[in-house]
Amino acid sequence: MRRKQIVQPSDPAAVAAMMVMRLYVAGGAPNSVQAIANLEAICQQHLKGHYQLEIVDVFEQPLRALADGVIVTPSLTKLSPLPAAQIVGNLSDTRKVLLALGLQGKTP
Amino acid sequence: MTTACPGSKAEADHPEAEAALVAFIQRLVHDSSTVRAIEAGEVDAILDPASGRALLLPEARAALRRGETSTNQVLATLPREEYQRLLAGLEPVTLAFGDVLYEPGELIRQIYFPNEGLLVSLLILVENHGALEIGLVGNEGVVGLPLAQGIGTSSVRAVAQGAGTALWMEAASFHQALETCPALQRALHRYTHALIAQITQTAACNRFHQVEARLARWLLMASDRLQSDLIRFTHEWLADLLGVRRVGITVAASALQQRKLIQYSRGNITILDREGLKASACECYQKIKDIFDRAESWPADTQP
Repeated sequence: MRRKQIVQPSDPAAVAAMMVMRLYVAGGAPNSVQAIANLEAICQQHLKGHYQLEIVDVFEQPLRALADGVIVTPSLTKLSPLPAAQIVGNLSDTRKVLLALGLQGKTP
Repeated sequence: MTTACPGSKAEADHPEAEAALVAFIQRLVHDSSTVRAIEAGEVDAILDPASGRALLLPEARAALRRGETSTNQVLATLPREEYQRLLAGLEPVTLAFGDVLYEPGELIRQIYFPNEGLLVSLLILVENHGALEIGLVGNEGVVGLPLAQGIGTSSVRAVAQGAGTALWMEAASFHQALETCPALQRALHRYTHALIAQITQTAACNRFHQVEARLARWLLMASDRLQSDLIRFTHEWLADLLGVRRVGITVAASALQQRKLIQYSRGNITILDREGLKASACECYQKIKDIFDRAESWPADTQP
């Protein structure tokens, strides 16, 4: 599965404030593809480049996903800033995703 | 965990096997939101700790076999149930550079949902002049938007700018689907607003801004929609799209290349310095992007 990533802010001062996330997907399966598209849209609108996103294909790295405690995909893990969070599903409910990421109510 | 996943032995294509898989997952999962995602059909695969393998669920496997995956962002925002209903009428299609989807005044027979990597130009034809681009659509939008407003003919020429894939739906099926898909209606309303904003801003841009700034704006817009810094276009084609002479594009591209913002050779343009290119673009790039981003953020505020 073709995937560019990682996205990082160019301003070093912004690095400290950026959100670090990892999205576990199952190749090009429908919910996984939807989750990537939805997350990219959310990041573009709400994080404006202040994020680092790694996309892990569980068919390529199943043991890594298991080591990270992932049982089903798609599954998004917010690593920092704390508190950490995990969201399972295709991320189509934008409000739920924003809430889990701690972005609810923040101006895009 | 030593219990082997049922699917690791039987590639579950049968209802009994699927039920066993779901029961297995539910034993593993104690988190209620994960259970809800499974029940809503939003899970593609499970990881079996015993075998160390990732296993596709039957529905995902069947969808992959049928080629029913899409990276279109309008489709991606739909709830799973609504997306599944739409899939019945959607067909995959591969387009090549120069393929004409619609001509002005002709019937719109299909609506297209471009996947990542496909770029479609909306062109207005002016007598004794070339075809001027007034809109650019990638996987963030749809082509054939008048159908969503109940209009069956196109006012523009829609042309594929390079090879790519899309899902398409016949007009009659789309009208039926739209009535039963409120989330699709809302997504298309948002995109309509964003596309109108793009078209109106482009009209002002074409009249008032210098070629170099317009070229920078266009390259950034294309790059955003392709999600790639590599854009394959000849100077002749870009000159037509922007409504300027070829030499104008050559001069502008040379200036951007000299400042190490882009690099071009034989129809390949690579963006080297995105921030620098933004600084060289006219205000229209950021205005169009901001309006699109704001429109996309509406559902978070308006969903019940």
